[in-house]
Amino acid sequence: MASTAERIQKLVAENLEVDGQPVSVPDDLNANLSDAGVPSMDFVAFAKVIVAEFDVPLTPDDCAGFSTLKDLAAYIDGQAA
Amino acid sequence: MGAWRDGDWWCPFKLVGEATVIHVDLTPDAAREAKAMGWLDGSEHSRWRRFQFAGPRRRFSLCRAALRAILCRRLGCENGQLGFETSRHGKPFATVNGLPVPDSFNVSHSGDHGLIAFAPAGRLGVDIEERVAHRNLDLLVETVLGEQEQALLARTHGDTRTHLFFKLWTMKEALIKAQGMGMALDPSRVQIPPAMLGGTTQSTLQSPEIPGVRWRLDDLGNEQFAAAVAHELCAAPRVSRGNGRAPGTPANL
Repeated sequence: MASTAERIQKLVAENLEVDGQPVSVPDDLNANLSDAGVPSMDFVAFAKVIVAEFDVPLTPDDCAGFSTLKDLAAYIDGQAA
Repeated sequence: MGAWRDGDWWCPFKLVGEATVIHVDLTPDAAREAKAMGWLDGSEHSRWRRFQFAGPRRRFSLCRAALRAILCRRLGCENGQLGFETSRHGKPFATVNGLPVPDSFNVSHSGDHGLIAFAPAGRLGVDIEERVAHRNLDLLVETVLGEQEQALLARTHGDTRTHLFFKLWTMKEALIKAQGMGMALDPSRVQIPPAMLGGTTQSTLQSPEIPGVRWRLDDLGNEQFAAAVAHELCAAPRVSRGNGRAPGTPANL
């Protein structure tokens, strides 16, 4: 079973790009989607994708509020605990 | 900062009631980008460096420099006196010498186009989107559109469907941005006036989230992009912070 971090990396790769370029996320997930230039429309879609993948409550506002994807992973793991 | 020729990469786009909308040309141009960087302060330079890609860096610097130049003229201040802060949901507002000013503004950019809306008072939101294919379009349709809007979209296909989706999205996003609630406001609950679903380009409405306030909504889309602007009508005096207005400053000053 892939880790939460690996699954998030995969979802980012499959769903997010900026100007046609894939958004790169380091293995430690220490990356911020706003800093990557991800637009609000993609935040909305990405939050839905995360909800479908992990079955956790998450709004686009929540998604945009995490400082890094590492924080998002911690939230997801916390919901599962 | 060197000599500044106002309007180097921006020009008036639309007058919408009390609001003025400026178009910002965001096509790559190294000379413009270098010039724009001269307008940005230290925190803006830091933000610029954090962007992972050249496109978002370019859009940010060109729009922010245009915003600074225009606000300096409107407010009669020097660039060094001008600052920006954000409300609880991240909506920026301007300060001069650290004090919030009554003028409203809002910025949006997509691809090679930016729009900046200004108004002397009243909350303001603008959105622009280039109509590029979106891999999660069906997911977005389910997420951000209401039942009536989805039914309308279901009767369309191909480019017509894409155009209608972006038109609805920009109108909703403009209203959400005007209300200053960011993504905390569920887009599917933001209802577009029926007349505008039918093709009218301007209407007024009230939002259940902020009772008693009327909003003017204008569809500004053209052949190059979808866009909309929302502006608060008959702004009532407000005293709370977080919306670009000094405490106790009437909104209609």
